[in-house]
Amino acid sequence: MFLTIDTNDARSIYQQVADGIKELIARGELPEGSALPPVRQLANDLGVNLNTIATAYRELQKEGLLTVKHGSGSVVASRTATERSHDELLRPLRTALTELVLAGLKPSRIQEIVIQELRTVTKGSK
Amino acid sequence: MSPNQMLIAMFILSCAARVRGCFRRWRQPLVRGPEWFFNVHVRPDFYDGPGRKLLHRYWVRMFIPIAVEVLLAAAIFISGHLLYLYWLIVAASIAVHVNHLFSVDLAERQARNFAVPEAEQPVSSVVLSLTPRRLRDYTNRRTEQIIILASTGTLIWLVRYYLRAPAEHSLRAIFGLPAFLLYSQLGFLFVKYGIVAWRTPIPQAQAEEHLHAREEARRFYLRACDWLRLLTAGELMFWPVLLTASQAMRTYVVTFFWVAVLAVSVVLTVWQELGRRAVLKASLRARPMKMPDFLHTGNSSRPLCYEPGTPMLLIRGARGYSLNLANKLTQLGAAYLAGLIALFALLRMSH
Repeated sequence: MFLTIDTNDARSIYQQVADGIKELIARGELPEGSALPPVRQLANDLGVNLNTIATAYRELQKEGLLTVKHGSGSVVASRTATERSHDELLRPLRTALTELVLAGLKPSRIQEIVIQELRTVTKGSK
Repeated sequence: MSPNQMLIAMFILSCAARVRGCFRRWRQPLVRGPEWFFNVHVRPDFYDGPGRKLLHRYWVRMFIPIAVEVLLAAAIFISGHLLYLYWLIVAASIAVHVNHLFSVDLAERQARNFAVPEAEQPVSSVVLSLTPRRLRDYTNRRTEQIIILASTGTLIWLVRYYLRAPAEHSLRAIFGLPAFLLYSQLGFLFVKYGIVAWRTPIPQAQAEEHLHAREEARRFYLRACDWLRLLTAGELMFWPVLLTASQAMRTYVVTFFWVAVLAVSVVLTVWQELGRRAVLKASLRARPMKMPDFLHTGNSSRPLCYEPGTPMLLIRGARGYSLNLANKLTQLGAAYLAGLIALFALLRMSH
């Protein structure tokens, strides 16, 4: 299972790592309970500071997607365990939709894009 | 067979075992074809101009440890202190590899000035494997069971042997060599840990090939470590046999043991060469690519550094690599060497 980091991407490396893991969880490629590599391994392989990966893991932990088990490292948490409110969950979607509207796309085209992206994101998930 | 004859036989065999390695290292710069110098994609006229000089310099550097070894071996033979041959074999095996790593790195850095410009651009996309890499994932349960059984069984037997008549036996004579062999076991485990933890940056292009090449190399070196650990456990098990052998039988037992060790070493050397071919085949399928430097460490030229936030053992700089003293492997390695010195001192002091 791979995670891709692009140096041309405007997002910071920690954000790319966090987003990449989120996508894999959403697609069901990282099912509940699967172990993630230790921070040191990922940071070493990528050649970045330990804090970069630790921040990504912390963010995922804060969002309830990862749990840190003593002795066995980080594992993917149950997806029903999320404690974020409905409004909180919708906020990034609203921001993304606003961007698309401001870019001049018609509502029907936006709808198409959303459906297509949803299919990509949930590809493989049960 | 006298001890001196055994040492000479061991020295000759160790030299013979390294011949193939010499040829391999000799051909290594050109193994990817005429457009390459090691892992550097060079300009077409490279070997007509500066490349020839760089290649010759690399070959001369490869010859240095051999020349030093020949001189030292001659000095040992002339002085008659043949016991030093054992330490020469150990030192030469380490020196050849260290010199090789250093020379390849130096040659590649010099060749980068004549590389194809596009090839010197770091890749923009890198791939991270999310599969956890732990020592236990690369551990053969049966091998571990054999080593644990052999080590504990021998130790129990030695303790009982010593306790039967403590006044008659010397602690050093009974436990000296086993202590050294057990400490070597620990050293091999430490090396295994280092191999598992060794970083594997992978470019997005040809990710599968790169990952396969790295896994192939990792498994090859781990298997070699396990074979050496099994050989060490075998040596440990032989110790009680030697202790209980009568004076008349001792020479035969030792000769049998040395012949067995040498035969196993020859078999392992052949196996290693075959394994290397598979590693080389896998590595040739993966095209070398320059990885991006996320830490921007390219300007550092110190041989040692202390970077607690950086997880790497070796940090690439302007003049080769810098050893990160904050890395757990460096600290464990230093502790291991200190322990080895303490063990030797303890064995020297004990009676």
